[in-house]
Amino acid sequence: MQAPDCFRQQLLTAVPRLRRYARSLTLETSAADDLMQTALERALTHWHQFDQRRDMLVWLLSIAHNAFLDQRRRDSRMSFVDPAQADAQQDLVRSDPGADVGLRIDLMAALARLPLDQREPLLLVSVEQFSYAECAEALGIPIGTVMSRVSRGRVALRALLDGQDTSARPEPLRTLRRVV
Amino acid sequence: MNPTDSPERPDDVRLSAWLDGELDGPARAEVDAWLRDHPEDAALARLWAADRDALRARFDPVIDEPVPAALQATVLQVGRAAVEPRARWRQVAVAAGLLVGGALIGALTGGVVGAQFAGSDVLQSAAQRLPWVDAERLRPGGWPHRAAVAHAVYAPEVRHPVEVNVAQGSASEQRAQEEHLARWLGKRLDMPVKLFDLRTQGFELVGGRLLPDAQGPSAQLMYQNGGGQRVTIYLRKPEAGASTAFRFQRDGELGLFYWVEDGFGCALVGKLPREQLLALAEAVYKQAEDGIQPSPQGRKPAS
Repeated sequence: MQAPDCFRQQLLTAVPRLRRYARSLTLETSAADDLMQTALERALTHWHQFDQRRDMLVWLLSIAHNAFLDQRRRDSRMSFVDPAQADAQQDLVRSDPGADVGLRIDLMAALARLPLDQREPLLLVSVEQFSYAECAEALGIPIGTVMSRVSRGRVALRALLDGQDTSARPEPLRTLRRVV
Repeated sequence: MNPTDSPERPDDVRLSAWLDGELDGPARAEVDAWLRDHPEDAALARLWAADRDALRARFDPVIDEPVPAALQATVLQVGRAAVEPRARWRQVAVAAGLLVGGALIGALTGGVVGAQFAGSDVLQSAAQRLPWVDAERLRPGGWPHRAAVAHAVYAPEVRHPVEVNVAQGSASEQRAQEEHLARWLGKRLDMPVKLFDLRTQGFELVGGRLLPDAQGPSAQLMYQNGGGQRVTIYLRKPEAGASTAFRFQRDGELGLFYWVEDGFGCALVGKLPREQLLALAEAVYKQAEDGIQPSPQGRKPAS
């Protein structure tokens, strides 16, 4: 059975915010829109699973989160190109133009280096302004885990921006951290 | 709510929760009091707040960007947009056969399908619109169309058919060029680029080139057989909304098999009989499926 029109309208309203999250997660426009495409298709396929009493954006972000993990799992199978992919991503981050070039490049590069399990909660809480409870729901993790990951992400991001590159290298694309 | 002097320094988790407005009244007041008395911690909290604001400032503009038409179409169109699970090769090959059969019948009866197929020769004008089997999902500016145009432009090229030539020099020079080509294209396309081995079908790799594209770069690999016939493989990241089905398109002498598979769009273009193109497309498809297997000829790019 197809998704009803009212559901589609609701979905369309949520698209801009979902795109913002996808962009912050992938740091790249086309990858973000690929992720959007997948997430929207999944949402349309599983529309009947959406509980209208819930916040649609939380539901959608949890779909996008899972789609992103699936994508990384697929990418991880293509192990022989990972260095090139990583290079390309780094190039992209470095070449990001902007009015406030110094700040932006540092911020984006730092974000790209943050482990995914910290990046996602930090983005949801900071950019999407989710409560810890909503964040926990979207990522499927306990609230306590959200708390500690947000704070670790914050500390790590600040350290990176201060030039203390503790991890020394960006997280390899192939590494998949299953969120528990 | 009484701002007593908290004896314990709030740890990072607590300070972070305070910043996110996750603490209730008394707990919040405790942290407030601590920060009043400890400027260095207050400075840290301000830094975190500034990082949060910088993240918001960086990504908030995305909200105001126009939603791409493809995404909008996905949401508003009938459920056909939902991607089917990857079809198996045999099934899609049969489907491609059916499409061609349908086109022939259509052409004979002068029906709608026939009209879709009866286009002008793409070779006469490279930029001319190719007629599409699936008008709903494929636009004239879509990537399979660009694959056909790129073939029409570069395949007849005698002196500079490719940017990186892997068919010159000694065997080791050729291998080095192949490695360079795969790495270069892979990096520019931000996706794995495999140099498919079509020698079983009698086609040698000539080389490849990067193609400019408004939607991001794409690549063209060129192959040639002993008779001087050329086929090209066009590779790119799929656009949002790209069809995932395996499809065949013919226009005049030019045939085109194309599909989207696990994050990349692939088109095989050539002036060959359909059976021969199908055999080549099948080889490409299989090699793409075994993506990470190095070919026995050492065509695996060094990592």
